[in-house]
Amino acid sequence: MVNWLSLAVPLAYLGVLIGSLATFSSLYRKRKAQKAMSLEPWFPAHLQRDIYFSLLHLDPSSQSEKKTPNVPESVQKAALLRRATEDIRRVMTLRNQKQALSVLLQRGSVGDDLWQRFMRAEKEMEEEVRDVVSEANAYTPNWGQTIFQSANEMMNNEIYRQRIKEHEDKLDEERVWWEKKRTSVKESFMKELNEDETSSPQTQSQTQSPAAKASEIAPATPAKTAASVQGSDDDAVLVEADPSSNQASPSGGKKKKGKGKK
Amino acid sequence: MASEIDLYNQYPLHMDPATKAITLPQSSAYTTTQQNTVTNELNELNTLHRALLSLDPPNIPPPPLPVNPKRSAQITKLRESANTAFRKNNYAEAIRLYTFAIDMGVTRPGWEPVTLAREELAGLYGNRAQAQMALQAWPEGLVDAKLSVDSKPMGNVKAWWRVGKCLAEMTRYEEAKGFLNKGIELEGQGADSAKELIALLIDVNAALKRVQGA
Repeated sequence: MVNWLSLAVPLAYLGVLIGSLATFSSLYRKRKAQKAMSLEPWFPAHLQRDIYFSLLHLDPSSQSEKKTPNVPESVQKAALLRRATEDIRRVMTLRNQKQALSVLLQRGSVGDDLWQRFMRAEKEMEEEVRDVVSEANAYTPNWGQTIFQSANEMMNNEIYRQRIKEHEDKLDEERVWWEKKRTSVKESFMKELNEDETSSPQTQSQTQSPAAKASEIAPATPAKTAASVQGSDDDAVLVEADPSSNQASPSGGKKKKGKGKK
Repeated sequence: MASEIDLYNQYPLHMDPATKAITLPQSSAYTTTQQNTVTNELNELNTLHRALLSLDPPNIPPPPLPVNPKRSAQITKLRESANTAFRKNNYAEAIRLYTFAIDMGVTRPGWEPVTLAREELAGLYGNRAQAQMALQAWPEGLVDAKLSVDSKPMGNVKAWWRVGKCLAEMTRYEEAKGFLNKGIELEGQGADSAKELIALLIDVNAALKRVQGA
């Protein structure tokens, strides 16, 4: 009895101490979490992820509407693949940025906020990747092991296709440019030819000179002098009669044919 | 934080019951740009879905390796016949066949290794460039050669040479010089294979001087 009474004071002391510490810690943590939450996310909204989850949750709402069948699993798989592709892209971005960012942080060039945002994004992506793997395994056993390999190739292929498209889009531009250039060159020949014909009766000898000039302006083969003379001859033919340029072309082709084929 | 992973933005998606195509119904809740990005993404998704359906069950993409040899065999076959047409000086036909092969290469499913697609297309574009050059279609040849070089910068001397040649033919000597220098750099100055590039570079430099002098 006496023991309890004498113990009351230290017990109360302990109680107050622990209670205040607990309150402080929970308040502190809450505030920190709130602060972290209020930070701007590193990446914009994950569209592919949103779509994937929207598809998963489409079923209950559609049942109330009409007799729409459930979203087939293949669609869900496709959506999951898209999600994995976007994840890969984000993980790569994070990996690339991490080094630079840590250097900047050490030098004090960027604030602590930015680093916190980054760490948060990294943590989120880790969880996201784990989630995708478990989802993939749920569809087909062991898919989780390969889904990110596939997604990686898909991302790289996408980038490559885009580059191909960029190049192919330039084709029209190039074509138009070349057409313009060629006609302008042709016109200047015509002008010179006409001038020469009007100025002197000796057309025979004069027509040779514009052809010689042609080698300077014209797209002549910049090979040996012999070749360039031949090229300008071709151009002269081209000026006089257009269809004959087709005849001239195989010779040009043969020249290049030596530069082999696999 | 644990609850964060379960958060997402719900989109009121709609699935066509027959084609299983997913669409986002027009709604005033989204701005046009939002609507467009979502629609684009959904188009990608639908294309991917169709690609997945063409696979054997369980309809998941196989690991990148080993590659299904069917497509490669078809492309090789097309390339062979195109090469034959080229050797017979039937350039238009060769271009047509190369184009078929290229289309097949480009439409390779995305989960197949990108290095394979690059390797394959580099060769095909290079060959088509040569056929175009034989027809003196310089702009087309230039674009094809550039594509080839872009697909496979290393060990692709012929394509570098073709880029330079096409540009030189179109009197764009400065650009030709830039490309040739890059090609030589990648190939290695002393390398045997770089000789052709160096020879062409000398020609281009001579032409450049002539044009500037005139």
